[in-house]
Amino acid sequence: MSLVLSALTIGIILSLLALGVLISFRIFTFPDMTAEGTVTLGAAVSAALIVHGYNPAVATAIAVLAGAAAGAVTGILHTRFKINGLLSGILVMTALYSINLHIMGRSNIPMMSVATFVTWAGELGAATGLGETVRFLGRPVPVNDLAVLTVTLLFVVAVAVALLAFFRTHLGTAMRATGDNPQMIRALGASDGNMITAGLALSNGLVALAGALLAQYQGFADVQMGIGMLVWGLASVIIGEALIGTGKLGHLLAGAIFGSVLFRLLVAVALRWGLDPNDLKLITAGFVFLALVSPGLIKKLRLRTPTEARHA
Amino acid sequence: MLDVQNIRKTFNAGTANEVRSLQGINLKIEEGSFVVVIGSNGSGKSTLLNAVAGGFYVDEGRIDIDGHDVTRWPEHQRASLVGRVFQNPFSGTAPHLSIAENLALASRRGKVRGLTPALGGGLRQQMLDTVKTLGMGLESRLDNAIGSLSGGQRQALTLLMATWLKPRMLLLDEHTAALDPRSAEQVIRITDRIVARDRLTTMMVTHSMQQAVTYGDRLVMLHRGKIIQDFSGAEKRRLRPEDLLARFEEVRRADLLDVSAAELLRRRYV
Ligand SMILES: Nc1ncnc2c1ncn2[C@@H]1O[C@H](COP(=O)(O)OP(=O)(O)OP(=O)(O)O)[C@@H](O)[C@H]1O
Ligand SMILES: [Mg+2]
Repeated sequence: MSLVLSALTIGIILSLLALGVLISFRIFTFPDMTAEGTVTLGAAVSAALIVHGYNPAVATAIAVLAGAAAGAVTGILHTRFKINGLLSGILVMTALYSINLHIMGRSNIPMMSVATFVTWAGELGAATGLGETVRFLGRPVPVNDLAVLTVTLLFVVAVAVALLAFFRTHLGTAMRATGDNPQMIRALGASDGNMITAGLALSNGLVALAGALLAQYQGFADVQMGIGMLVWGLASVIIGEALIGTGKLGHLLAGAIFGSVLFRLLVAVALRWGLDPNDLKLITAGFVFLALVSPGLIKKLRLRTPTEARHA
Repeated sequence: MLDVQNIRKTFNAGTANEVRSLQGINLKIEEGSFVVVIGSNGSGKSTLLNAVAGGFYVDEGRIDIDGHDVTRWPEHQRASLVGRVFQNPFSGTAPHLSIAENLALASRRGKVRGLTPALGGGLRQQMLDTVKTLGMGLESRLDNAIGSLSGGQRQALTLLMATWLKPRMLLLDEHTAALDPRSAEQVIRITDRIVARDRLTTMMVTHSMQQAVTYGDRLVMLHRGKIIQDFSGAEKRRLRPEDLLARFEEVRRADLLDVSAAELLRRRYV
């Protein structure tokens, strides 16, 4: 049971990553490699600050800002210096590797003995007065784990709702239009370059947030933890689209969250059944490859009518 | 309103693909004037409109719109003065966004886009009323994605978007060329109505001689990056399609003559 709870919690945390990837990859059709570096950046910044005695909320907020800054740099490389988008992300990702090591001072920061958001959530759980465990489907479930799960879920839902509201503002609508038709958005008086830069900042802010929360949940930050994360996020987005569809913005956002959680659960089950963890990235990449080369596959996987597809 | 002074633009300068698209264009357009631009393929019509809209910077010369020297303004900045409709119906709208969202974007052309809801306030009622004037029944489909509409419907909406906030300069580049005859007729009528209603200063490129003689109060003809003809007033009103076709034919003959003369010289001296 604990295993399932942990898979769910990590899935929910990583749905912030999926939301970030959704913004860069789906809204701006920008394959943003920066994400691999900003997951670690978020983890590194928050861990370094927390072990130096900073409040976890403050540390997490600063991590988000650091991620947004990294995304903005990628955007500037691409839009101002006209560097290919993929390469812009790779440059920043590579630079971040060194930067992350500097921030951490070593390749791994354990946070076992310091208070993080997990500690807070645990205290909230204790304050409910439910005791150590509750019974669920006849099995004992640790209240502490349940509290962490609930707090994470509520937080992520709040973030998603805020994102949805943002994308319905004038600025957010202009951002979505930029990915759709940059020529048109220029003709309507917005700089498509600035929109892309702002969008990548937003995306990487979310990715850094995922990194910061993941580090606190796992109890350590590691300089390697970002590797493969972009493809991971992409897989979540694709599963979400297959599950919930792409017709509305709200569906896309909800899909990314469900996709992330479901994907994490599937992985937990597969590992449980004896899948070699070393093969995980290979299988994830294979899955995304299949989904990308056969868009029809997604439609067939979906139980809805194809007329609801995003393209008309 | 528009003052174009001796602008030049050469694409791919110094390469085998060098094209001198604009070769010293001078054009002054009075406020409220509706100028039709014609010319053969590749004569520089789109390039001229693009130069005004800021799709690129001109190599030489100066462009003033409404008293502002916009020569070095980027495209998105000029958008505060300029409304545009493109030839391709796909260029003017964001296909995945709804009609309402596209219109909301247009309602902020050249303004700051903040964190207020895009579809808030009285905008929706205004959209219903305005879209109804198109007579296309689109007012009941405001929440449908624009990508689901026909080319003619999209061009009509793009026209609404370009003129939602009264532009100082309206640029139309063969905006009916990609449409079937019926839709083209519909869109050109809407165009004329909006331009007349708001007294918009307009430049409209067209390949239709019928449109060229029917609409506008001035007509300029481009050839090889230069203005070779400029009709206005009574002269413009008297123009018939045959006159324009005859003028095209004249230009074509002169070109042939140029080519054969060059060939003659080449044979004799090279
Ligand atoms: N971005 C560009 N790069 C290179 N050449 C260009 C570019 N834009 C226009 N040209 C060239 O400039 C010349 C004028 O093109 P333009 O599109 O202005 O013609 P046009 O009068 O609009 O023709 P049409 O009636 O076919 O639309 C053409 O030879 C074209 O190939
Ligand atoms: Mg043209």
